[in-house]
Amino acid sequence: MSTVITPPESAAAPPSGPVHRRIAWHLQHNPKRELWLAWWVMVVFYNLFFPIFFVVAQVQPPPQPTWDLATQVHWFDERHLGIPVGFGIIFAIAGMTAINNALIAYSMRRMSVSPAFGYSYLLIYSFSAIPGLLLLCIALVVGTLRPERNPETIGWLYDFAFLSFDGTMGVFLIGSLIWMVAILIDKNRVFPKWFGYLNLCNALTEVVVAPCWIFQRGVLAWNGQIAWWLDMVVFGVYQVTFIVMLFQMIRREDFGTGPLPDLPRKRATAS
Amino acid sequence: MTELTDKNKRATFVPGQPDMWAFVLFETLVFTAYFGFYLFYRAKSPELFLHGQAQLDLRVGVFNTLVLLLSSWSVARCVQSARVGAYRAALRDGYLTAFLGVAFMVSKVLEWARQIRMGNGFGSSDFFTYYFFLTGIHFVHLVIGFVVLGVVVYQLISPLRRSQELVETCATYWHTVDFLWVLIFALLYVVR
Amino acid sequence: MADVAENVVAGSRSPRNALRRTDGELILLWTLPATVIVWVSAFFLFPGFTPPMSPTLSADQVATFYRDPAHLPQIRYSMIVFNWFGASLIPILTLIVMQIRRMAHRTPIFSYAMLGCLAGAPTLFLVANVCWLLAAFRPERSPELTQLLNDLAWVTFTTLVSFLIGQSVILALAIYFDDQPRPIFSRWVAHFNVLVAAALVPAAFVGASLSGPLAWDGALSFWLKNIAIGVWVVVMGVVLGRAVYRERAEIQRRAAELDSA
Repeated sequence: MSTVITPPESAAAPPSGPVHRRIAWHLQHNPKRELWLAWWVMVVFYNLFFPIFFVVAQVQPPPQPTWDLATQVHWFDERHLGIPVGFGIIFAIAGMTAINNALIAYSMRRMSVSPAFGYSYLLIYSFSAIPGLLLLCIALVVGTLRPERNPETIGWLYDFAFLSFDGTMGVFLIGSLIWMVAILIDKNRVFPKWFGYLNLCNALTEVVVAPCWIFQRGVLAWNGQIAWWLDMVVFGVYQVTFIVMLFQMIRREDFGTGPLPDLPRKRATAS
Repeated sequence: MTELTDKNKRATFVPGQPDMWAFVLFETLVFTAYFGFYLFYRAKSPELFLHGQAQLDLRVGVFNTLVLLLSSWSVARCVQSARVGAYRAALRDGYLTAFLGVAFMVSKVLEWARQIRMGNGFGSSDFFTYYFFLTGIHFVHLVIGFVVLGVVVYQLISPLRRSQELVETCATYWHTVDFLWVLIFALLYVVR
Repeated sequence: MADVAENVVAGSRSPRNALRRTDGELILLWTLPATVIVWVSAFFLFPGFTPPMSPTLSADQVATFYRDPAHLPQIRYSMIVFNWFGASLIPILTLIVMQIRRMAHRTPIFSYAMLGCLAGAPTLFLVANVCWLLAAFRPERSPELTQLLNDLAWVTFTTLVSFLIGQSVILALAIYFDDQPRPIFSRWVAHFNVLVAAALVPAAFVGASLSGPLAWDGALSFWLKNIAIGVWVVVMGVVLGRAVYRERAEIQRRAAELDSA
């Protein structure tokens, strides 16, 4: 980049004082502002995403595949406002996922591996937002639109939504594997190897969800203890971990192309 | 410098990357959860599960277990040979491990085919759901094990590589695959 | 010194030379007016847009709409045209990504994010398009099913704003962070994009009501949304065109300097 424009790294320190002034300073002067912006967008997105799905729209934990049509119609009726409003917010903020994916793709770009990894990941996760998230939101919104609709049609929308959520995890499987391979062969030590293995655990958890297409009841149904509950636990651990890992990466970032330096504290204890 | 001392410290503490052990722990926890669900639902309908178990051939299970135990032994020998620099012997043991892995795979697929011919599919009863699920997810781990063995062979072949740490890490993974199978064998085939 | 100046102008941090390969970009750029003409024509051809169909129509009324022999060919042909040209905005959006890469950023994050966004809206539009075409394929189908397809099409068509909001916000952020004496896009383009994004937000709530401004035929979800998109396409087209031509002039000037040096 142009060394003329960007200020030297060791320049001014942020001013003390009210939070909004410090944030404004960082937005204007912090050399890593793009990375921090992307990271905060990610944090805000997940902090909105989970409460909306679990509390506002109340579509998670998922209802049972075995309910009769009358119960399903009633389920939609209970959420006739929660779903359109909650998912309205989701539709408005779904673009943030592009920034999340961009940050992760950037982490692969910082590695010693080919740019093909970052681009593949970006493409896969960008496309997966449609079957994995938006189509099911659309199906559920259409489900609440007309309570007088034929119950069988509502049942179809019900199935479509929940199978779309659980059953299209295959896309995330490949994406996780790509990130895993990148981390494991990376020589720049952007992430520790155990995080690469955690990606494998996440990928395997996506495999385990696939039987939801086969079972209407039991532990492997779309709301089953293995296919949903255990899967959510693994997924939750993975999410929190990668948010923390990206945080560490940004702190260590030196905008070079070689190995990422450790944080100063770590270096002191190692020597 | 500090990396070397770190590595030496690690060699006495744990073989291979400690990261792999973190993975092993995590997967073991996940499998423990699967086993927990299995035992819980088995306790609820013991006759159904017993009936299902009776249809499994114990001899095939024992054969599978022996094959994997042998493969663990051969991969351990591989690590030892590599440690003393006997790379030819290590490579032979690597191939032997892969061969035993293939033997397990073939046997497993044949067993599945037989069960399906007998009318026991993925969804035919709760027991067989668990049977196919547990052996299936283990099979996936085994397939990954072949990739891991590939890394071992790739490392051992060329004198430019031969990272002992990587070989030990991969061996750890293979032992985990074996370990998980022993647990599955005990639960599905033996405990009645 | 000359290298620094080159870097400043080219604005890219890769070792790629400042003489970026730009052959063919003018062709892609000039597809935009053609796209606009095609889209506007198809838009006015589709009887469901002029005026926009009401969500409050009963299943029978919806079925009648699709069965009307005057409407049917118009529906099919306009949707087929949309099907062909649904993706034709993507080259323009990619040209915008190319310009983002020239901005004075330290990381390629904004261009990545833009890339991640730009295929989304055309994909969702095609889903809506397919639903409309399906509804028109067998108009003798049960009115309930036709209404379902119509509902899916309209809701998808309206909520595709997800990606458009994302695009505009990302572009605005990229412009705000473009710290150089002569930014690629002027500041007002960023403000404009924020405004467009805000204008598109109400359409996300299309499921909340079957009538009123938020309904898919309402003032906010239909008129404001489509007008905002139309204005965005035209304004960004002009702005992008200016940036592309400016870049080409600079490249030619520098190539002349190198030749004479």
